[in-house]
Amino acid sequence: MPRIAVDAMGGDFAPEEVVKGVAQVSLETDIQCTLVGDEPQIQAVLNGVAYNPEQIAIHHTRDFITMAEDPKLGVRHKRNASILVAAQLVASQQADALVTAGNTGAAVLACAHHFKTIRGVRKAALASVYPRHTEYPGQDQLALLLDVGATIRCDATELVQFALMGSAYARRVSKVPSPRVALLNMGSEETKGGEVLTHAYARLKTISGINFIGNIEGNDLAKGKADVIVCEGFLGNVVLKLLEGLAEVVVDLAGTAARENWRSKLGLMMLASGFGRLRDLTDYTAYGGAPILGFEHLLIKSHGRANARAVKNAVKVAAKAVRDGVTREIAAAIEQL
Amino acid sequence: MVLRRSKQRAGEPALPVIFRWDLDKTYLKSEFDSLRELVRIPFEKPEDKVAVPGVVPLIRNLREVAAQRGRAVRIYFMSASPPQIAKAIKEKLALDGIEYDGIVFKNQLQHLVRGKFRNLREQVGYKLTELLKSRLTVPSGSREVLFGDDWESDPIIYSLYADLVAGRIVSDDLDEILTAIGVDPQLIVEAQTLAAEVRREPAVTRIYINLERRTPPTNFRAFGPRLVPAFNYFQTGACLFEEGHLTLGAVTQVAEELINGSGYTPDRLANSLADITRRGHLQQTSAIAVREYLRARGLLPRRAPHGGRTSVWERLTRWLRAKPAPAAAGDAAINYETLVTEWRAVR
Repeated sequence: MPRIAVDAMGGDFAPEEVVKGVAQVSLETDIQCTLVGDEPQIQAVLNGVAYNPEQIAIHHTRDFITMAEDPKLGVRHKRNASILVAAQLVASQQADALVTAGNTGAAVLACAHHFKTIRGVRKAALASVYPRHTEYPGQDQLALLLDVGATIRCDATELVQFALMGSAYARRVSKVPSPRVALLNMGSEETKGGEVLTHAYARLKTISGINFIGNIEGNDLAKGKADVIVCEGFLGNVVLKLLEGLAEVVVDLAGTAARENWRSKLGLMMLASGFGRLRDLTDYTAYGGAPILGFEHLLIKSHGRANARAVKNAVKVAAKAVRDGVTREIAAAIEQL
Repeated sequence: MVLRRSKQRAGEPALPVIFRWDLDKTYLKSEFDSLRELVRIPFEKPEDKVAVPGVVPLIRNLREVAAQRGRAVRIYFMSASPPQIAKAIKEKLALDGIEYDGIVFKNQLQHLVRGKFRNLREQVGYKLTELLKSRLTVPSGSREVLFGDDWESDPIIYSLYADLVAGRIVSDDLDEILTAIGVDPQLIVEAQTLAAEVRREPAVTRIYINLERRTPPTNFRAFGPRLVPAFNYFQTGACLFEEGHLTLGAVTQVAEELINGSGYTPDRLANSLADITRRGHLQQTSAIAVREYLRARGLLPRRAPHGGRTSVWERLTRWLRAKPAPAAAGDAAINYETLVTEWRAVR
């Protein structure tokens, strides 16, 4: 059974929602969770919910890094912060993977501090999943975008490695036998995007065992053209925030329209089921979290606003990745380079 | 609370410790969540009935440990099932090697004949009167430990019984409480009559509730520290060790059965032990004794369940902040008015 270390103090609604999510996991699965954080606070939450104590351990530490804190300073000055202790548990083989909804920068630094990178991997990548159209039956409703912030600039080799890591993750976790991998670029032609992207393109199309479909542009992101989209961290982060911002604007516009007149209200009511489906599709709590790839151990980063459901699903994703040997798959993919 | 040596005179028989067990969901893993499962129960053979993991070695050891220590015990069972299935249940207990001193079943047919259909489901009146009847048959001064589950009304029944015997509830209050619960008026009168006959003494030391439904522990806070909600019989066993009813060897047998017979792992047991300690029902010293004994026998992991290192300062501050041990049974003061209101709302 997979053993997952969970940063109980990370996230806007921690420890309440994190602990509740783990409590739900303990009732539904055989996953062993270690909640890392302030023991009295964690136990107080557990006492008020249904849980299976046999599946939950608590590792006490009082320090934690807040969402607003500078990650570098936090990691430097709070050696016993929950995210660092949780990473240490994984590094010392006392847990198989780590889940956090806390400060993303601190999560990346905690991994860098305690985990070794997979042999050959030059930089780790922070991935994110986002909803998109599906083009064929059985296609996952979520696409994997990486890197979204672990790096700023990358060279061609690093982008190629991101592609291999993302492909291995999608193959194992999303169960896509041959995930379609694309580079995010300003044009679909092979020569577009400057030296780094053209070199990456040239190398990716020669690698066997990866289904590289070429470049895709920003307007293709929401379509089902690719299952894994690769870019450097600076661009990935901008894209991710743009997608999130757009979703919020759409919801806001719909609300404003509904308040304007009765015809808009009626129209929106008629579209209610469609909006419901859209809401379900964009509901981040359903997919739990996304991985930081490239280390020998896995970290699943859940949304900062994660509720119990999101945490529960993040833990399940982490356990699935452990069961399916994602890091081994990535190591094998990198080795062939 | 550790049992102290009684101040008995030479030659005088020791007072027995009374262990009372509910049957369904506490001893037996009875499945009656659906109508089909409910209908199947009367037709089950003794060998088809399954005991809750760990309960068999625990009960056997309650008797054995008492015998080793020259103490007497009495074990009673109480079931809300009809006497028609008594044969199968008695055979099951025999198969498990459980010796008992009494077993009582609910005469459902009597309620049917009298047209008292509400009494078929109502357990408080039935169980409370049976407990009081049984109390009248045991030597006065005998201490009692009660075992139930979180399915029906065991926490409220056992607490009422404990407070009645201890003299904390007077007759008029009992009438009020049982009426509020919806107990049959005839049973209320019977309970009052029996309660009047029972000698007032602090008899019930602990009430263990098997959290079969995984009810949140906070839901039992109103019942006071006398009631211990336990998620499995390893937790119960550890607490019974602390109270002097079991030895470490007996707790080991419970752990072994959970591992060998029910798929438990050393990690799961370690987590259980840590949980009952964190919830304040088991003192650190007892938890350490259990942990070290079981570790030496390979039944708990070598490392701490949560692993990692803790600084001396951290350990010191945690020790200083640690919760006090649960208060003795006599300190319990239950507000039954609130309790019954909440209990009725849940039902």
